[in-house]
Amino acid sequence: MFMSKTIRLLLCAVTGLLIAQGASAQSCEPSKVAQKYPSLAGKTIKIGVDPESPPYAFRDSKDFNKIIGADADMARAVFACAGVKTEFFTAGWSGLLPALGAEQIDVMWDLLYYTPERAKQTSFITYMQAGTGGLVAAGNPKKIDDISKLCGLTVTAGIGTVELTMAQAQAAKCKAENKPAVTIMPSADIASGARLVASHRADVIMYDLALVDGLAKQNPQLYTRGFMITSGMKIGVGVKKGNADVIAAVSDGLKIMQANQTQKKIFQQYDVDPSLEMPITLLTQ
Amino acid sequence: MNALRIQHRVVGALGMLAMLALHPAMAADLAGVQVLDGFKELADYVGSPFLLGGAWIAVKITLLAMSIGLVLGLGLALMRLSRFKALNSAAWGYIWFVRGTPQLLQLVFIFDALPLIGLRFDEITTAVIGFALNEAAFSAELFRAGILSVNRSQSTAAAALGMGPLLTLRRIILPQSMRAVIPGLANDTIGMLKLTSIASVIFVNELTFRSQQVVGQNFKFFTVFGAAAVIYLFLTSGISLVQVWLERLFDHERDRKIAFSWFGLRASTRDVKPVDAPVVVPVDVKEPDANDHAWIGTLLPAESRTPRHCDEPFVACRNVWKSYDKREILRGVDLSIAHGEVVVILGPSGSGKSTLLRLINHLEPLDWGTIKVDSQYVGYREIPGGGGTVRPLHNLARARAEARVGMVFQHFNLFSHLSALDNIVEAQRQVYAVPRAEAEALGRELLKSVGLAAHADFLPHRLSGGQQQRVAIARALAIKPKLMLFDEPTSALDPELVGEVLGVMRALADVGMTMIVVTHEIRFARDVADRVVFMDGGEVIEQGTPEQVIDNPTHERTRKFLNVVVN
Repeated sequence: MFMSKTIRLLLCAVTGLLIAQGASAQSCEPSKVAQKYPSLAGKTIKIGVDPESPPYAFRDSKDFNKIIGADADMARAVFACAGVKTEFFTAGWSGLLPALGAEQIDVMWDLLYYTPERAKQTSFITYMQAGTGGLVAAGNPKKIDDISKLCGLTVTAGIGTVELTMAQAQAAKCKAENKPAVTIMPSADIASGARLVASHRADVIMYDLALVDGLAKQNPQLYTRGFMITSGMKIGVGVKKGNADVIAAVSDGLKIMQANQTQKKIFQQYDVDPSLEMPITLLTQ
Repeated sequence: MNALRIQHRVVGALGMLAMLALHPAMAADLAGVQVLDGFKELADYVGSPFLLGGAWIAVKITLLAMSIGLVLGLGLALMRLSRFKALNSAAWGYIWFVRGTPQLLQLVFIFDALPLIGLRFDEITTAVIGFALNEAAFSAELFRAGILSVNRSQSTAAAALGMGPLLTLRRIILPQSMRAVIPGLANDTIGMLKLTSIASVIFVNELTFRSQQVVGQNFKFFTVFGAAAVIYLFLTSGISLVQVWLERLFDHERDRKIAFSWFGLRASTRDVKPVDAPVVVPVDVKEPDANDHAWIGTLLPAESRTPRHCDEPFVACRNVWKSYDKREILRGVDLSIAHGEVVVILGPSGSGKSTLLRLINHLEPLDWGTIKVDSQYVGYREIPGGGGTVRPLHNLARARAEARVGMVFQHFNLFSHLSALDNIVEAQRQVYAVPRAEAEALGRELLKSVGLAAHADFLPHRLSGGQQQRVAIARALAIKPKLMLFDEPTSALDPELVGEVLGVMRALADVGMTMIVVTHEIRFARDVADRVVFMDGGEVIEQGTPEQVIDNPTHERTRKFLNVVVN
């Protein structure tokens, strides 16, 4: 009885300690950057984004020199938390991953979907799940309410994106079922893809759900969302394999942002559904 | 008047743009107010520091890459024109590869692959390198075309004056080729300025990419891309104006004054008088009178009278052989010429007369035999223990300059971008380093002595054939030659102009210049020559006094030839 009390007390103490330790890991300590992430002390992290992708990364309409968006703001918050300075490097989306591999940038933080293929060279710290939206002309004249309805239509998606792969898979499916072929027009950026739909050159643009919804909301006379797919795809921050300190800084920071509701607030601010938030996971293959 | 015309053009262009913009706007059923607001917004974007910053990046990359690319391109062009096979092939391979692969891939390769071997460049440096390497390949072909467009006779004339290949390139060939090269270079510059947008894939945040980003944020692509187009148009207009200015500068057919001279690239502004105004050509002085010619005598350099080996002839050709490919041009020619002697070489075309002249001042290499002028080889040295065989020297231009052999060509070969006076001054200044004032003074004296004092500032194309040939003689005399070679100096002239040139030559002979003259002018030969040499089939058939060869030829072939020429 006495023994068990002692043990219980001890257990309490140990648990308390653990909780206290856990709590310390769950708060920002920008001054301790040298201890926590030695190789990042004094360094400026280069964040690669394509600032043509609202609501994730885009130019602030009030000051074009500033890049804002759900991803951009998260990146800033996470590295501020780690005590590291950041600088945004902007390029066409398709140039970002090769630059990460060549260490011309330290992280790619711009609507990057995890795939095992990409994980061969890049480590992913995933923080949200993806939905894909099919944006069609206002009123959905061709009644495209599912990806299976694409046979015989013209589809556009961004070069190198997962959505393009999905469109290609659907095209193969149509062919296998002996239905009319899908015409695929890869677009260089979202805006040009959206213009294809507005000018009826393409019937649907497939892109990230939040982006599609944003476009439909801002331009109801032009667009509407035809369909959505919850693909179960994960969106994460890309870091070159082996860059342990950056991976740790991003991972720790994201956990804190989720714990203290920062991620939720930022998502709400940019009309991204907060329910898409996912526990932080490091995926390396 | 001109300003008014330009104004009209600008207004016209703006109107055109407005029409182009208006059409889709009207098609989209927009009200007038909306269109007006659109234009206001467009104007705001044109002034946006964000977009202008992007334009500056594009300009910066273009300026740097163009400068580096042109230097490399000129080098590549020279390699392409080199007679060394290895250089030529290397340049050809480079151009083949760079022109043949997509520039986008080259940029990604430099930016993303070279770091793997430790070469890490930032985005602007990468873009400058990538665009410069590309421009080198493209401009190399432009430069090569420009250089090839300049008549070979120009470099032959320069070589005869003792100018080396690089000096000739810098002073004679490049200035004349610029006119052909500049339009292509302007195309390249404009193309590059616009093409910098492909570097967005390697993080270059320039105008097109920036406007795409703005469109990505607000989807107003009409106004934003319209603004980008206006900025591009403004920049490319600047390039076009520079092109116009450069083309005028290097237009050597205009009468103008030297405005700019940098590292041998001379350019000039138009003369005050308009081109279409009648040019006042001073009445040609009559046949230069005897006094003028006597002055030529003072020109004869003291050196040509230096004590020489009295036992040796002044010009000695020994067993000279020369062939082009398999065709034998000279077959063992022996010819000796004494100091102060005037020798006229007669013979049918293809007999090797002109080739012999070009071997004497080493414009062409010998195949076999030796030629000495004033007891010296011109650009050869004897191989020790080679039994009198010779080998060409490395610095041929210098050897030619030291030999001081003047040459006059059938087609004059005046430097067409230089005035009469500058033609005469050029070699003195560049080869013999004579001070400008002294060189010009001599040039004016020479022009006066050939009766062209009033034509000093005329470009060759403003002169008649006879006048051009007299300038050419003056140019050859300016280097104070010990020996003058005349290669059919009157064959390209109208009959009435032949006299004025022969007059000058006669005067030269009178004052004791050693001369070898290839000509068909039998009268000149009879009157002036000390000796006439008849050549046929690459051999000397007979020689002797004019009376012997012309009036009493011993050889059948001579007789046949004279019959044809005299009648």
